[in-house]
Amino acid sequence: MTTALHAPIRRKAASTPGRRNWGYTALALFFLAIMLFPVYWMVNASLQPNGTTLETSWIPLKPDFTGYATAISEQAGNLGTSLVISLGSVALSLAIAAPAAYALAYFKVRGAGIVLFAILISQMIPGIVVANALYTAYNDLGLLNSIPGLILADSAHGIPFAILIIRAFMNGMPSSVIEAARVDGAGHLRAFWSIVLPLSRNSLITAGLFTFLFAWSDFLFALTLTTTEAVRPVTLGIFQYIGAYVNDWSSVMATAVLASIPAIVLLVAAQKYIAAGTTGGAVK
Amino acid sequence: MKSAHWKTRPTALAVAALVGLPLALSGCGSSSPASSSEAVTEVSVMDYYNNEPDKSFIGDALTACGTKAGVTIKRETVPGKSLISKVLQQSSSKTLPDVLMLDNPDLQQIAATGALTPLADFKIGTDNFAEGVLSAGTYKDKVYGLAPTVNTIALFYNKDILDKAGVTPPTTWDELKAAAAKLTAGDQYGLAFNANPTYEGTWQFLPVMWSNGGDEKKIDTKETEQALQLWTDLVKSGSVSSSALNWTQADVKDQFMAGKAAMMVNGPWQIPALDKQPTLQYGVVKIPVREVGQTAVAPLGGEVWTVPQTGNKARQAKAAEVVACLNSDENQLAMAKVRNTIPSKTTLADKFASENPKLATFTELIKTARARTGELGEEWPAQATKIYTAIQTALTGNASPADALKQAQGQ
Amino acid sequence: MTPRGPRRFGRQRKERFFQWLFLVPAVIYMALFFGYPVVKNVVMSFQDYTTATFFTGEAPWVGFANYVTVLSSSLFSTSLLNTALFTIGSILGQFVIGLALAIFFQRKFPLNGILRSLLLLPWLLPLIVSSAVWRWILDKDSGALNRFLGDIGIIDTGVPWLTSTSLALVAVVGVNIWIGIPFNLTILYGGLQEIPDELYEAGSLDGATGWKSFRHITWPMLRPVVSVVLVLGVVYTLKVLDIILGLTNGGPANSTQTIATQSYDLSFHEFKFGEGAALGNVLVIISLVFAVLYLRASRRAVDE
Repeated sequence: MTTALHAPIRRKAASTPGRRNWGYTALALFFLAIMLFPVYWMVNASLQPNGTTLETSWIPLKPDFTGYATAISEQAGNLGTSLVISLGSVALSLAIAAPAAYALAYFKVRGAGIVLFAILISQMIPGIVVANALYTAYNDLGLLNSIPGLILADSAHGIPFAILIIRAFMNGMPSSVIEAARVDGAGHLRAFWSIVLPLSRNSLITAGLFTFLFAWSDFLFALTLTTTEAVRPVTLGIFQYIGAYVNDWSSVMATAVLASIPAIVLLVAAQKYIAAGTTGGAVK
Repeated sequence: MKSAHWKTRPTALAVAALVGLPLALSGCGSSSPASSSEAVTEVSVMDYYNNEPDKSFIGDALTACGTKAGVTIKRETVPGKSLISKVLQQSSSKTLPDVLMLDNPDLQQIAATGALTPLADFKIGTDNFAEGVLSAGTYKDKVYGLAPTVNTIALFYNKDILDKAGVTPPTTWDELKAAAAKLTAGDQYGLAFNANPTYEGTWQFLPVMWSNGGDEKKIDTKETEQALQLWTDLVKSGSVSSSALNWTQADVKDQFMAGKAAMMVNGPWQIPALDKQPTLQYGVVKIPVREVGQTAVAPLGGEVWTVPQTGNKARQAKAAEVVACLNSDENQLAMAKVRNTIPSKTTLADKFASENPKLATFTELIKTARARTGELGEEWPAQATKIYTAIQTALTGNASPADALKQAQGQ
Repeated sequence: MTPRGPRRFGRQRKERFFQWLFLVPAVIYMALFFGYPVVKNVVMSFQDYTTATFFTGEAPWVGFANYVTVLSSSLFSTSLLNTALFTIGSILGQFVIGLALAIFFQRKFPLNGILRSLLLLPWLLPLIVSSAVWRWILDKDSGALNRFLGDIGIIDTGVPWLTSTSLALVAVVGVNIWIGIPFNLTILYGGLQEIPDELYEAGSLDGATGWKSFRHITWPMLRPVVSVVLVLGVVYTLKVLDIILGLTNGGPANSTQTIATQSYDLSFHEFKFGEGAALGNVLVIISLVFAVLYLRASRRAVDE
């Protein structure tokens, strides 16, 4: 795609002052239309009486909202549960992963190689293996059917991933900034808190974003670590419309559509903070 | 030197932590000893009726039986596909429920592990149950599970489409092929069935295999080959869409309801959905046999209720009371009517069929229905895999039915 | 400036202590949540682990028998080939398209942020929903894709995307690329944003614009992020299970059966847990080999 690289990439101002680049917006909308067609198709299905798209036209001319009625009345609580668990997981994962990524990127610690290797291996383990082991442990510890328990478990997706991503970004950061801070007498913790974290904003937000997505879409741990309906994330809630014999697709699709909305709102808000050139001026 | 000592310590610590800590934790497995001296007030149940209307109906039935036995019910419902994973997790952490529902082909596997209690220990009677039902619930001559209602599959046909084309519901394979061919026009296929690479695909193939005398112990026989040839011919001739290789039984029902298939192989649980469309007039006949004179044999579907070994004799006894109550005559009739399934006791068949004419064909079929695990017991899953592998190979044209079956059997 | 004698040792110890303080919470978490499963999975692959084992706890040691069985089964060569094709196809598609989109979104235009976030939707949907929707879209007779292709006149009859042994793998790779693009796009975008503007300005003064600026400024600065995205991409793709099961269940006729789906099948459909674990470990070994080789190669490239 060399056409996109013709002009030097500038992010400070629009290329021609006074003219907003609606052309690029149009192009972006075109990409979006292609990429998100299945999402549109899901919305279409959610408005069909039987929930499938077997005989539908391209546009739902006679929308049927029974699926949404069911979804709203039954899944609202589950949406809240999912939100709490996902946000909690982001907080916990970043709290544990950011310092670890910093340590692995800058400190010449002997065990660093092993820890990195172990993290990479952890990403290769099939989820079901972890889930089975966790069930026994959680059962003994009484952590089943609890929100903190699920926050802890869902962070298993997020922490290793966040460490790897944040570390990769930090590797690109000039170490001269850190050295400068330490020479000025800042202790490790102060240097980390006041200098490294703000500079790593992009990586923290990116890692946090994916941690949220991992936790939000987790089904395996939700299924394994709950035995009652007391704590039921929405991914598991969807399954109450999928029986052994018969499925209620319109409720499934409606729930999926409704569940996407709060998540997308959060993601849009978060992405606004990924700003350009956070390390740019700091080197001077 | 002190600093060198510090340098190597973290490494060793890391390795030790990564391996030792979790191993130490794994030793912490607790099995709470059961005290059988206290009175039992609660019985835990696990099943996979996680969606309506089954969920409420079975829940009410359980509560009623619980009240009769003097206990409250603590129930866990899981999605169908996850039941076995949960059972295994609970087996290893010794937290199996007091009453466990299992899909009937899984019973042998679980009984073989020793996790279930023979129902004869609790003097639960097994008279008048259909032969297939008992066969499914029996492991090494002991009955471990009983199903109050069961189901099977048959041939649904769209009355209007058949009338318009002047076709009568087929009774033999030749008639089936002819009818399907005649009914294929435009975007309407003559027949729809499920041939996907899962146990569902195997399940739908069993009627034609068994009616022709084929046996699941050894599938590379002439009888099974003829059955597979039928399936292959139907797809090759275009009477059945090749999408059958990917469809589930739910997809098959969607095709039938949308008028994209004039006939379909499916089960009675689809009736509520079919009835929601009053313009759809359908009839049900047995799945055709190859020659007149052969008996239509259908596979037995449905769930059994079992009593796991929890180590607490008092709780097991109460659980057995609940299981017996679920299998009572009144419960069978009520359950079957609401859930569109068939009572397991043959003595109830006539009464049931007369009160529920839509289910008459299925009721007939249950009398001669055959359990999938009847001959092979725990070996069934491996053989079921071979059957659907052969079906897929033959239907995609990768090999002739005979070769496909030989390949699959040999694996 | 540095204190000498005993105070220097004290200061070094304090250094080390703080350094480890940063790492220890992560190490403990990883040990607790991953240590035991990994060990258990390895041990299970050397045992005859069946459903009975879950209840009785007995699992006779069989050494390498499980590995021999799975590696010599006729299905293994098929699943190995499918896994390779699936992974290579997915990574190529996801990475190239993700990078192209990330570069595109560097430009300032209205609604940039919102549109970029909306592109995360494929990742947001539960897999059960995505696979159901894609199955409908790819259906031979009534699927949206075939309807569209037919309407614009490219094809006459329906293309059997999911039921042809030659096309099913392509279809599954396509869906996996669709799912993977947001992952690549978002991380690469974040990485691109980190590259300071001054470098580009300095470069353009020397005449490095367009493709040249990409090759000499963007690509080298993006290296660490690209490494992580590729390695993690491969590791995650090798593990992909739910989307394949949801779309085709490994069919038709095993044409979309990968090592991951075969391992799941062995464990949870045929209840041969020892063999399933063995196959799962084979997958981990393949991931490891790739990760080591790739990291070594990229380190060498950086040194040059």
